[in-house]
Amino acid sequence: MKKVLLKTEGLSKSFSSGGILQHVLKNIDLELYEGDFTVIMGASGAGKSTLLYALSGMDTPSLGTITSGGEVISDFSQDALAVFRRRRCGFVFQQIYLVDGMSVMDNVLAAGLLVNKDKKALLARARKLFADVGLSEETQRKFPSQISGGEAQRAGIVRALINSPAIVFADEPTGALNSRTGLDVLDTLSRFNEQGQSVVMVTHDMRSARRGSRILYLKDGVILGECNLGKYVHGDKARHEKLSAFLTEMGW
Amino acid sequence: MGKSFLLARSNLRRAKGQTTAILVLIFLAASMLNLWLMLSVDYRQNFDRCHDRLNAGHVTLVVDDGGRGMRDFLAQTLLKDGRTEAFSLDDCMHMAGSFPYNGGEIHLEMAILEKEEAISSQVGGAEIIEEGAYQSGIYMPVLYRSDEIEIGKTLEVLIGSNKMRYTVCGFFNSVMTGSHNCGVCEIILTEDKYYELKKTGYAPQSTICSVRLGDKAESEDFETMLKNAVSYQYPGVRAVSNSYVLVSQSRYISQMICSGVISAMAFFILLIALVVIASNIANYIQENMKSLGALKAMGYTGSQLILSLLLQFGGLSLIAAAAGAGVSYGLFPFINTMMISQTGIPYEIRFLPFPFFASLAILCGAVVFVVVLSSRRIKKTEPITALRQGILTHNFKRNHVPLEKTRAPLALALALKTTLSGMKQNVILSVTMLVLSLIVVFSGLMIRNMIVDLTPFLNLIVGETADSCINVSAETENLFSEEMQSDSRVEKIYLYNSAEVRHVGGIGLMATISDDFSKANNQSIVFEGRFPKFDNEIAVAAKYAKERGFEIGSEITVTADGKQAPYLITGFTQTSNNLGKDCLLTREGYERLGRLKNASYYLNLTEDSDIDAFHVEVKEQFGTAVNTVVNVKATVEAAGSVYVSLMQALVAVILVLSVIVVLFVLYLLVRTMLGKKKRDYGILKSLGYTTGQLILQTSLSFMPAVVLSTAFGVAVCSLMINPLTALFLGSIGIVKCTFIVPAGFNVIAGIALILSVFAIACVLSLKIRKISPKELLTGE
Repeated sequence: MKKVLLKTEGLSKSFSSGGILQHVLKNIDLELYEGDFTVIMGASGAGKSTLLYALSGMDTPSLGTITSGGEVISDFSQDALAVFRRRRCGFVFQQIYLVDGMSVMDNVLAAGLLVNKDKKALLARARKLFADVGLSEETQRKFPSQISGGEAQRAGIVRALINSPAIVFADEPTGALNSRTGLDVLDTLSRFNEQGQSVVMVTHDMRSARRGSRILYLKDGVILGECNLGKYVHGDKARHEKLSAFLTEMGW
Repeated sequence: MGKSFLLARSNLRRAKGQTTAILVLIFLAASMLNLWLMLSVDYRQNFDRCHDRLNAGHVTLVVDDGGRGMRDFLAQTLLKDGRTEAFSLDDCMHMAGSFPYNGGEIHLEMAILEKEEAISSQVGGAEIIEEGAYQSGIYMPVLYRSDEIEIGKTLEVLIGSNKMRYTVCGFFNSVMTGSHNCGVCEIILTEDKYYELKKTGYAPQSTICSVRLGDKAESEDFETMLKNAVSYQYPGVRAVSNSYVLVSQSRYISQMICSGVISAMAFFILLIALVVIASNIANYIQENMKSLGALKAMGYTGSQLILSLLLQFGGLSLIAAAAGAGVSYGLFPFINTMMISQTGIPYEIRFLPFPFFASLAILCGAVVFVVVLSSRRIKKTEPITALRQGILTHNFKRNHVPLEKTRAPLALALALKTTLSGMKQNVILSVTMLVLSLIVVFSGLMIRNMIVDLTPFLNLIVGETADSCINVSAETENLFSEEMQSDSRVEKIYLYNSAEVRHVGGIGLMATISDDFSKANNQSIVFEGRFPKFDNEIAVAAKYAKERGFEIGSEITVTADGKQAPYLITGFTQTSNNLGKDCLLTREGYERLGRLKNASYYLNLTEDSDIDAFHVEVKEQFGTAVNTVVNVKATVEAAGSVYVSLMQALVAVILVLSVIVVLFVLYLLVRTMLGKKKRDYGILKSLGYTTGQLILQTSLSFMPAVVLSTAFGVAVCSLMINPLTALFLGSIGIVKCTFIVPAGFNVIAGIALILSVFAIACVLSLKIRKISPKELLTGE
């Protein structure tokens, strides 16, 4: 029995635009499990990112509850949500979003020092993670604008992992990268997932989705279907076919 | 032009808050600038206008002799001198006297004139500016209109040592004799009261002589010549006089202080506004580099883009400056009311085109200059470079405060990173805080030395003060001195007498004569060197010595009563009483020239003594041997209260202005920072930083510049404030200021300033609450 990291009940989110109320997420019941690589897929406007905001505590739902570690985070204040994010979540953004004025190392430490006051231990972890993603010490000292997109996204992954979060939320992490560097980033995420890191990734790219162990398909604010692929194995044709069939069934 | 206008309009719409803040700063600067120009250009000229309108004299002499012989002598002397343009010789009575004013007393040399004689005088006639229906009584100089002195009220006037009661019939304006600052002050009585007083013989029949000169710059020399001529011809006759130069300066001390403070404020605020505009333009160029590149690619020229900024800031400045200069007319009546309590010359407020347009020209000119200077980069940048360069928000040469190595707490470390990467912000803050430090130190100085305790101000401006001053005839002097020394109420008694002498080859100097200057209460009158001790020594006013190139040890020759003698300069003095034209002599030193006809003694009484009751007893004891008694304490309080009120108002105004300036500067900086760092704050929020942490971080990022510049500013200004104030007061004879610098107050005020800036920055940074991390996420 897998451990539930995050659970939603009747999760709904509505926006008012030009006086018209738009229901983006509708009554979603969902559980996210420890160790899973959950991929949220769907067409543009399906509500993928909105679901990611809500799950990660970046936004609050209009209705329903989100529970994590026995706490109803959907009732949290903004400051409590900030504490929740720093302790339980890691983020990898499509646009990478490193702070321009800080070196690569400082970007990571700025997140790490929020949680870990033991700077020595923190530095050791940061260096290990940098080594894991293949970023040299020289790169760590550079500023974001001085490194490539792939290097920046790998630095983003290190930042996401620095506080050993329960879940890493990745929003289209390869969206701003070319295919080669995108693949590197996906490899990195898969490798950490293999080591037990839970990942929730939003994508509309089938090649990225193949990395997931569990695929959720979102359409018009509801989870239309779910497909369990099991552990990612490079070049597993059957796995690929299963995903294709699922997506075809979902109308992809 | 049309395209530039459209661009300017678009820029203004995008930055409404910043535009408002710059508008307010320019508005304040324009108000101050216009006030300063009105005060220094027109207000001062009001004296000359009034002087000309009333055909006032350039020299006034009052001699205690109303006889035909004296008048003929004066007429002949004046007619003989080619500098004389016109003169009048009128009847008057002359006596030292006093009356209650501003809760104290005013002591002055009174020239008492009959109403018709006073207003019909060919030269220096008085102008009745307000009168009631009362037909019998007194007319007072308009300066003294106050709660105690109003039409219909009874005024007790001490003439010599005789008390007279008069109904106040009205007020008059006299340029040369309308204030206690004039050396001699006119008092007008109705015909019946004049002859009533004449009959009593309380005041000797005298002559008042007003002389108009061809060249008013000759007034001091002419005054000395006339007085010397009289004292030579009539050695026993008492004479008092004034000159255009002395009166025009002494009646405008408050105007000088006020316009100096206002001009400093105007230029400080303008400086801050210009730095803010320059920073705004630099930020605009940085943030809109790509848009500017695109506009250039579309065919806009660099000049058109700069013109849009010129229209934007120049237009704003013109509107704000016109509004500010306009509003200053609303403030001017308050300033006029404050000023008139010292100048005593009515001023009619009217639109003054020169100050108005000069304010606009100075402000707009400065803004245009700064805009052109700050926006040169637009002209130099090629469109393709601009398009490629995009937003450059950080100097990558150095990683300031690496988190890996720093021991600073996280919030402080991140704040320091922001501080060290934003030099423009630091410059603006530093300039603002340096200016505010000067204001705080100046306010502290004024509060300590004028508002809380007037003594330091009096010591500097007035010179010597005591509780009482009693003038006795020379014959009674020894007896008086002995009796006073044995009186238990008298703590200290010392000779402190004034007499006029003349520096041979120079000008007339007011000599203060004492037996022993070490008894004087104010030992700082001689601020360099020492008081004279022997009969061949003299201390002279530093201002005069400086003008003549004298040093301590120099020898000067002084003359009085037809004799002359050389003296060695032992020290330099400073008081504003005679605008830097005075000297100190020992009694023996003065007696080398002449003998004292009467002697003024200063007395310090015990704490619980009633000064007025003491005076009554002394007058009873010594009778007619006592010429005058002056309650110095009350006199000083009355005269000083004018300056205290002026300073209170000035300090309040500059402190309020400072708060407004710091608020708007911080508003601009915080807003600019939030605009530039919105993305960073979003990222940090997504990583788990709370709004409170980011507010703290933002506010802390301002603090290094604030703390350093405030500490530096307060320290340096505390050291420099006395020399700076001396520069400011140089024209009234002050060379070295010895005001007490309230170090404790300055430190506390500096800390309060820093904490206030921190609190204001925190409040202004509350906008960070609205920055949401979800805005970063894309992908729907």
